[in-house]
Amino acid sequence: MTLAANSRTSFPPATAPREPSSRPRRPASTSTLGISLVTLASLIALWFFAAHFGWASPLFLPSPAEVLTQFSAVAADGYANGTLLDHMLASLGRIAAALGVGIVLGIPLGLLMGLNRWVKGIFSVPIDLYWGLPPLAYLPLLIIWLGIGETSKIVLLSLSTFAPICFAAQAGVRSVPAERINAALSLGANRLQLFKSIILPSALPEIMTGLRIAIGAGLSTLVAAELIAAQSGLGYMIMSAANFLATDIVFVGLIVIAVFAFAFTSGMRWLERRLVPWKGKL
Amino acid sequence: MLRIRDASVTFPASDGEEVHALDHISLDIAPASIVVAVGASGCGKSTLLSAIAGFLPLTEGTITLDGRKIEAPGGDRGVVFQKDTLLPWANVLDNVALGLKFQGVPRSERRERSRRLLELVGLADFAEKPPYELSGGMRQRVGIARALATDPKILLMDEPFGALDSLTRETMQQLLASVWAKTGKQILFITHSIEEALTLGTTIVVMSPRPGRIVARFEADFVRDFAESGDIGPIQSHPRFIELRQEIRSLIHKPEGARTGNLQ
Repeated sequence: MTLAANSRTSFPPATAPREPSSRPRRPASTSTLGISLVTLASLIALWFFAAHFGWASPLFLPSPAEVLTQFSAVAADGYANGTLLDHMLASLGRIAAALGVGIVLGIPLGLLMGLNRWVKGIFSVPIDLYWGLPPLAYLPLLIIWLGIGETSKIVLLSLSTFAPICFAAQAGVRSVPAERINAALSLGANRLQLFKSIILPSALPEIMTGLRIAIGAGLSTLVAAELIAAQSGLGYMIMSAANFLATDIVFVGLIVIAVFAFAFTSGMRWLERRLVPWKGKL
Repeated sequence: MLRIRDASVTFPASDGEEVHALDHISLDIAPASIVVAVGASGCGKSTLLSAIAGFLPLTEGTITLDGRKIEAPGGDRGVVFQKDTLLPWANVLDNVALGLKFQGVPRSERRERSRRLLELVGLADFAEKPPYELSGGMRQRVGIARALATDPKILLMDEPFGALDSLTRETMQQLLASVWAKTGKQILFITHSIEEALTLGTTIVVMSPRPGRIVARFEADFVRDFAESGDIGPIQSHPRFIELRQEIRSLIHKPEGARTGNLQ
């Protein structure tokens, strides 16, 4: 007996769209936006008054106006071998390259480690060992091996972005509910279909979280590496300015990095909402 | 026809002892029958279903479906789980179509067939919704539609309505009875509710724990009336229903030592 023949005499449809079973939507991000903006404005005002009334010497705390002036000066005329844009592009280029390496190597290897006991057994020890080290501890070694140029910095950054991405992909695979896999097998999925249709999408929320962590780790390693060994980049600019006690330029550099970090995090959150809107549901 | 012969499943327990989750079970499930396994928790009824589904290897014995030995999960046995296992990233229609996609059925055809199944379970208007916007009962309906989509030889249902409130549960039982009457599928249904077992089963097997055994089996045909009338009241107040319910209840609650005498 086929199902098609009976579709006309079907079970009475559920009509009234019931309220979603998930909890009512909380306007969390929108309702705190105003509060956050007020906090930000207060901090800037506090900074302004502190500088204006001379609570601290301009050497330690330059006024907002001065930082703004320096901002346009550095943007136009440059500082420490390049304009602000040059330094920004140098830093961004490094972190983009490192993220690329981290994604291209970390996601496939992490997925394999989640799927296969042998791959996990072989790779987890070396990754655990180096991930426990502070990146700056092995930067000198990388410089000895690879020279002072871009290669050593990009390898350093790639190592710091690779591990969180790899761990996240692995955790993503292991977080797939066993029943979901059993259900797919009962629907006739072969191994490739199981991976493509079930495991990969199930691991995606974890992978996105891993990417966000990787960007954070990469950014802090980047600036630290540039403080120590670089001829360009925001970290280098800050270090050069600090050597001459140009606190206003240090502030310019810090603000640019803060804005970058904020933009990356917001961008990732936006991407997560777009790519994995089901995260945390079911 | 599903044939279970001398099926045993033994687990090593944490204390080193062996747990006989299933102890030499033999059972046939004929086409167009609903076999309901009922028993207290730990009686091996879910283990039995997992073994038939192929999720769990037998320690001893064989299970064959239309003469073919069961060794792994496969599309010829549709499974409905207690907790729904719908994919949150796919809408309701694509969830129902999942098995057809695995079979390589072209997109337009699988959507067409899935739509008809959604009509069958009364969810035609919800095709484009994500599953997490549906209630528990509706999600189980999607699960049933999904399991039916590939036209499996047998439907295995592991306490599918166990997590639902009692009103939704009745609606779902009615839905299942009507789906069964229309499709004539053979069904193995696991439950711990004696009323549910009697309402839905053409054969009811009562299982007992440690070791998991079938202690009795009954034939019933309340489900036919139920599928026709859709009214559970007269069925559950039928004298025969009450009599059977009492008998099954006393079997399940009998102290373990006194249960050795087999009824069948």
